[in-house]
Amino acid sequence: MEKEYIRTTEHSVTLNVTGGKIDSFRELEKTNGTVRVYENGCIGIAGCLGEPNEEELTAKAVEALAFGIPYPCDLGGPLEREDIRDEAEIIPVPQFIPVMQAFLDQLQELCPKFAFSNKIYLMDSRTEYRNSAGRHLLSAGRMISIELIVQNRGSGNLFDTALAWEGTHFDADTVLALFKKQYDAFYTPVDLEPGRYPVVADPSSLIGRFAHHFVGDLYAVGASLLSGKLGEKVFSDKLTVRDDRNPETSPATCFFDAEGCVAEYYRPTMVENGVLKGLITTKKTAKQYGLSNLGTASAAYDGVPDLNVNRIWFEPTAGSLKELVPGKAVFIIMASGGDATPDGHFATPVQMSYLLEDGEIVGRLPDISVSGDFFDMFGKDYIGAVKDDPQEGILLSAVMMDVVKG
Amino acid sequence: MIQFRNGFYADIRTEERFRTVISYKAGILEEMKNPVERQAFLRVYDGRLWYYASVTDVDHLQKTLDGLYAAAAENPHIPEDPVVKRFEKNVDTVISFGDCSVRDIPLKEKQELLLSYLPLLSEEPSVTMAQGAYLDRSSRFHFESSLGADITYDYQTCGLVFGFNMAEGEKKFPGNWQKGFTRFDEMRSLEKEIREAVKEQAYFLRNSIPAESGKFPVVLSPQAAGVFAHESFGHKSESDFMLSDESMKEEWQLGKTVGSPILSIAEYGGVPGCGFVPYDDEGTKARKNYLIKNGVLAGRLHNAQTAAALDEGLTGNARAIDCTFEPIVRMTTTYIEGGDLDFDELIAPIKKGYFIKSINHGSGMSTFTIAPSVSYEIVDGKLGRPVQISVLTGNVFETLGLIDGLTKDVELLSFVSGGCGKMEQMNLPVGFGGPYVRVSSMNVQ
Repeated sequence: MEKEYIRTTEHSVTLNVTGGKIDSFRELEKTNGTVRVYENGCIGIAGCLGEPNEEELTAKAVEALAFGIPYPCDLGGPLEREDIRDEAEIIPVPQFIPVMQAFLDQLQELCPKFAFSNKIYLMDSRTEYRNSAGRHLLSAGRMISIELIVQNRGSGNLFDTALAWEGTHFDADTVLALFKKQYDAFYTPVDLEPGRYPVVADPSSLIGRFAHHFVGDLYAVGASLLSGKLGEKVFSDKLTVRDDRNPETSPATCFFDAEGCVAEYYRPTMVENGVLKGLITTKKTAKQYGLSNLGTASAAYDGVPDLNVNRIWFEPTAGSLKELVPGKAVFIIMASGGDATPDGHFATPVQMSYLLEDGEIVGRLPDISVSGDFFDMFGKDYIGAVKDDPQEGILLSAVMMDVVKG
Repeated sequence: MIQFRNGFYADIRTEERFRTVISYKAGILEEMKNPVERQAFLRVYDGRLWYYASVTDVDHLQKTLDGLYAAAAENPHIPEDPVVKRFEKNVDTVISFGDCSVRDIPLKEKQELLLSYLPLLSEEPSVTMAQGAYLDRSSRFHFESSLGADITYDYQTCGLVFGFNMAEGEKKFPGNWQKGFTRFDEMRSLEKEIREAVKEQAYFLRNSIPAESGKFPVVLSPQAAGVFAHESFGHKSESDFMLSDESMKEEWQLGKTVGSPILSIAEYGGVPGCGFVPYDDEGTKARKNYLIKNGVLAGRLHNAQTAAALDEGLTGNARAIDCTFEPIVRMTTTYIEGGDLDFDELIAPIKKGYFIKSINHGSGMSTFTIAPSVSYEIVDGKLGRPVQISVLTGNVFETLGLIDGLTKDVELLSFVSGGCGKMEQMNLPVGFGGPYVRVSSMNVQ
């Protein structure tokens, strides 16, 4: 009988911010354990909240084999790998409230017309995976994340914009400068004639509504717009899409998936230079439909592995925003509520966006809507992606889209 | 027996959650489990800061509580704190599902029920991938506070969720059907309803045409109307959004006209279903609250902190998705009240418009969005061809003012998958619904 053992721990400290003041401190310590056993083509799973007793969990997992859940046993070859990035504290927990309150006070001084609320997180996570085939993986990371909701004082809105930043080191001056730039642009209203413009956004907000078309089993049964196109060039040469499990670029991310699969550069590839290379699978769906397993499984502590994309990664094609989108472009900060029709037409209202000129934020745009078609957006209309732009420092992608007001 | 200390406010919420998940995809068993999870959330307040802890070790709550006390500062005036003064001191036991607990139904029986429905999906030849799940949850909550509150209550939902991807040539459609209940026996004899849902969506796959973009009269089904009420106005009624900016009080004065005079939106945790919250997570008893009454802003939703800050009464809306998180202001069951028309009367005056029968999702800020799934055109007062609509949008307040017809009958819906998301707390079970609602103009894309 083959076996997998997984233990995860999460420790987080969360501060709640109301009106720019910290009003609560929440500490969470969470440990989960999972044992999966495989016998006669079936899987048995047992999980627990709290410190796992491997022997007890193994006995329960063996009992669960009786459910008869079919699952292939493919534990991969032996592999020892660790990626440990939680040695140095970002901010000592006892200092977290005073440091962050001082940051918020400075931010309020710089941005007096903004009212801030929501959360600031300090998180550690550690995941250990081992199996009976000699695979032993350990991933540990730490990050700080600032997620502030902003009300423009006097607007009467629930929120008007958001300021977000995450990282593995906290330098207040850098974050303040980034947020101040957005503040200044927020109070500089600009207009834009309806038309076709480069639209700059986080990659997942552009391709996220099409993610199901990359799912292996939907692909295999013909329910995906990509069905039958594996290995074919269907998108722009400039488009390479991966799932980012690399802690270097996605802080505190576990570098392996829930089934112990480790991708090259910790980024499983779905599209490479426009060619459809991989589909989102678990070991089960890959085997069931004769596909290569991409290594994109997630699993509840007590559940059968399921499909999941950690964070969409578009391979950068430019060194700066200016190089990516010279001239005018729309930079989306918040766009919720949009969707795609079954045949791939995508439209979304944009609640908050800035106008970029030569890669610089110059002002706030009114409410707009953007739209495009799946194969065009990532084909002839795909412009590229940028990471480590000196201004933003985050992964952004650009697509030519139709822009209308309202 | 928990020992609370003087000089602080404290409460402890514990949940024992039993769940069943059985799922099949393409005829193959994917998941089968019925875990029991115990968790607790502890809060200590010293009048300045709240200190929270979430634990799975529910046998040593005193130790965790003492740790929170050590972090907080003793405050002899805590009983006079405006937040603490608002807390109710209810002592009650509400066991609604003792005689019909899903815990007592054998796993095999749940599996057989699901298996009895799955073949219905494959009767339709365009279905390429059929999947289905049986889900249930039975929770036992206990809440106790340093003020003497001591409440025990239970909560139960169960339901079926089906997904059926359909394809014919280049045409694709992700079909779905789901329904939530509170008792296992209510899930029997659903064959006709499921079969009709599959047929209708297959017809949509084959015959739907793109809708014309522009501004048109739109009729929302109870599902679409419920989501519209929840997203467009329910979230705006969650008063934690009013705490950061003083000017919000001016902007959101009770008594202000915010919608059509025929519009009333109510909110009540006592409604049976997935939004059933007889006591909220701060021990406040459920009560019916009007958010809008006859077009006028009539109330808003509170936890103790927001009620104190705005000097208003508690409403029973402090909720957390589980004992990992602190309670924040959330909805329970939110619905539009009915009017005086029947469906045919509602659509009769529309020369050219759309009927939104089902939706994928919605959102609402100053502009709301609804992403329809199955929709129909309305031509000369009659339903016409099925149409594909990417998104409906509009300014919330303008649209609330453009509601000009409501049917008499109100339908309240419960789902067992998904739920309401707010900041870090996703998939909170909520109920929603309403009558069929006619809006004289909405932006269709």
